[in-house]
Amino acid sequence: MQILIYILKRILQSIPLLIIVSIISFFIIRLSPVDPLAELRLNPSVSQETLENETRRLGLDKPIIVQYGKWAKSFLKGDLGITSNGEQVSTKLKERIPNTLLLTTIVIFLTWLAGIPLGVLAALRWKTPLDRMLTVLTSIGMAIPSFFFAVLLLIFAVKTGWFPVGGLTSSNFLEMPFTAQVLDITHHLVLPVTVLFTISLAGLQRQMRANLLDVLDSDYVKFARAKGLSEFDVIYKHALRNAINPMITLLGFEFAGLLSGAALTEYVFQYPGLGRLILEAVLKSDINLVMASLMMGAIMLILGNLIADILLIITDPRIRVRA
Amino acid sequence: MKRAGYVVLSFIVITLLLKGCVNIDTPEPPRRQTETSKVEEIINFPPDDKNVTINGVDYLQSQAPVGKFGGTLTASTIGEGPKTFNPFNSKDNISTLMSEIMYDGLLTTHPVTGQPIPKLAKDFTVNGNDYIIHLRKGIKWSDGKPITADDVVFTWQNIIFDGFGNTSVRDSIVVDGKLPTVRKIDDYTVEFKTPEPFAPFIRMLSNPIAPKHIFMPAVQKGKGYFDTFLSTNTPPEKFVTSGAFRLKEYVPAQRVVFERNPDYYMINTKDEKLPYLDKLVYLIVGDINNEVLKFEGGELDVIGLQGANVARFKEQEKHSDFTVYNLGPNTGTMFLSVNLNNRKNDEGKYNVELKKQRWFQDINFRQAVDYAIDRKNMVLNIANGLGAPLFTAESLNSIFLNKDLKPYERDIEKSKELLKKSGYRWDKKGHLLDRYGNHVEFDLYTNAGNTEREAIGVMVKQDLEDLGMKVNFKPIEFNSLVNKLVNTLDWDMVIMGLTGSPLEPNGGKNVWMSNGTLHMFNQRPANYTKDDRYSWEKEIDECYTRGALATDFETRKKFYDKYQAIAYEEKPFVYIYSPLVITAIRNKFKNVFPTSLGGVTHNIEEIYINSSPLAGEDARKAGEGS
Repeated sequence: MQILIYILKRILQSIPLLIIVSIISFFIIRLSPVDPLAELRLNPSVSQETLENETRRLGLDKPIIVQYGKWAKSFLKGDLGITSNGEQVSTKLKERIPNTLLLTTIVIFLTWLAGIPLGVLAALRWKTPLDRMLTVLTSIGMAIPSFFFAVLLLIFAVKTGWFPVGGLTSSNFLEMPFTAQVLDITHHLVLPVTVLFTISLAGLQRQMRANLLDVLDSDYVKFARAKGLSEFDVIYKHALRNAINPMITLLGFEFAGLLSGAALTEYVFQYPGLGRLILEAVLKSDINLVMASLMMGAIMLILGNLIADILLIITDPRIRVRA
Repeated sequence: MKRAGYVVLSFIVITLLLKGCVNIDTPEPPRRQTETSKVEEIINFPPDDKNVTINGVDYLQSQAPVGKFGGTLTASTIGEGPKTFNPFNSKDNISTLMSEIMYDGLLTTHPVTGQPIPKLAKDFTVNGNDYIIHLRKGIKWSDGKPITADDVVFTWQNIIFDGFGNTSVRDSIVVDGKLPTVRKIDDYTVEFKTPEPFAPFIRMLSNPIAPKHIFMPAVQKGKGYFDTFLSTNTPPEKFVTSGAFRLKEYVPAQRVVFERNPDYYMINTKDEKLPYLDKLVYLIVGDINNEVLKFEGGELDVIGLQGANVARFKEQEKHSDFTVYNLGPNTGTMFLSVNLNNRKNDEGKYNVELKKQRWFQDINFRQAVDYAIDRKNMVLNIANGLGAPLFTAESLNSIFLNKDLKPYERDIEKSKELLKKSGYRWDKKGHLLDRYGNHVEFDLYTNAGNTEREAIGVMVKQDLEDLGMKVNFKPIEFNSLVNKLVNTLDWDMVIMGLTGSPLEPNGGKNVWMSNGTLHMFNQRPANYTKDDRYSWEKEIDECYTRGALATDFETRKKFYDKYQAIAYEEKPFVYIYSPLVITAIRNKFKNVFPTSLGGVTHNIEEIYINSSPLAGEDARKAGEGS
């Protein structure tokens, strides 16, 4: 019951936040000197009449406050509006969201599967050659910019011919049997996943290692050891459980990055995800599409934090008491 | 000691990793200038297509060598892919390209001469303002219904004239506020009449024709519905088309796949139905670099090349499986425009400062600027030698190009001579002063982010500084630049590019006619009534009006020659260069007859693949080994 009230409170708190985010983003986009019709204006074959029609269709002839009001009203009704090309924003997003989710969930799954154990391992073998080796490797992972790494891998794909150069499916995808389709997608996913995996693994592994080292140094672990508990119990029952708390907060942020975290890598690999769509929308000041993606990002972040907090309440009795 | 060991170890690991990434530069032999002979001189074009009637069906017979059936050609488009598959809604190049593959027009353009030739129509006659079109008998839409005069009349009357979708075609055929008329004579004959003789109309007949039985319900639901009709979300099997290929699959942000239309009206000399290719695939790639990688990785068969890639591909060509074609200058014109505006804005202030007006409106000043520009140097340094210096308002591949207007070299002495004539002088430091003692200093704009224009700006600045002018070069954001050019009009000089049509100069009327919406160099506000045209602006207006009304090519050419001569003399735009179009296509494709007007795949129906899959693989391996 207490948890439910807590959740409700958090949701109510996030409403003014969302309103402020939407106002700021809307005004920044509209006040920037980007004119969605600039290209049409410079096209010799477009008549004045057409330009005026377009201005009216996009609602650019009205004051900015009215434009915002119109947008907010339809957003509350669940209508994301249409893009500047007249397509439904929701269908556009629906085309891309599954692709991005596929990529990011695989990456998150793999990094957590590998990052946590490696972090624990490094902390337990503190200052051994294994720990140092992992430190060097993760340093490289953290230092290398994702787009640069992606370009290197693309060149690798071109030179060896082992991997396709970007994209998600081959052109004869439709005619393949199901298993071949799965293999085809996997084949296309290897390189982008490698890039994202290497980069986020580094952060995660180091975080886990530092947390566990902190905890292992604390008094209650020393006490547990002094009490004569087995090393296994000390580490996996007491130390690890305390060390995992900051990781849960991190998981909340990862959730927020599910839809937007891979944009740069998506762009380099020509991956048909949200990244490319939104980049083009921003460049063309396609307001409804940009607003939809920004709001989506904000909601995901709030939701991610909420989930993390709830998970913390469940895992950590100390927070439960305070709440 | 141990620590030092780790440091050394990590150092070795990093060195090894880096070694893998670094390509040691070996000194290269100086690059030869890429040969720039035009393709048309090398290629043996097949005779023109013929009309052949077999069993009551009027086929179009290709005269190209007979080829083999099957295979796929993979091309690419840059950007986010098509926005619509409705040929009447397309506003961007990619959507237009896609709808041109799916829907044929009555006429098309001869790839070599640029004259209109029949396509969906069997033949046509033009008599002044009267156009009679005969349709092919017995040809069908992809759902089996015959293509008749009703479809043509419906397309023109109910879609285009009534203003559905993109109205640019309608806008361009209005003469004095009147539209042409269209009338069905019999099931296979249609008559068009323009209110007055209006030559550009014939080009408009290459617009796609829509199947009436499919489009009629959409038109009845109104314009709002029509805008979303046949969008990219429509399932491929819903399309009823007439082109050589029909839509098979569209995967957003990845590709568009077309498959062969088995009942197309084009045949080869053995009377087999074309096209040869089974599939035509367009990959949607985000940028040029990725496109090049995809071509090198073997995923693409055709690619347009730019800049440094051309030299690299040219060198690989000999031991690779592709050929690089130089298609000559493209329709783009890059120019430096001078603001000749002499009006005040709403606040009563001059758009252009008075002293600057005196410079810019002086023909000697403009010609001096023109002679000071080193076009050859720009072609060599900016376009990697892949451009042609430009001096005329029509692009170099235009069929209306005035060939009497000769190119010339940079002549700084002549520039100085011209400036002296108008009373300019130089102070001790070499700065240019006008006759009232003002320092000649102005701003030069272009859109930031376009590296080519930015590079041109830097070189123009250097060239003009040789004359003692002070040029403040300011690349600004594209939208702000357009705002300056179209609304606020407070600019001095700008580097811009426009794409013209090589076939129809009338497309440039918005730029050249004094009331045009893009009459940049002397932009008048909308609904401006006062006649304050310069005398040469009047002459150009006259050329454009009369050139559009005349119908035979020779008469028209005289008017357009004259306007080019005026522009050449008065220099409101100082033209710089046109880039060359360079395309590479894999050698396994035969019947490839590239032309400057049509590109490499204009005859996509006739192109076929001639190699066993194994031979292609070998060639690719040889290419990689090099």
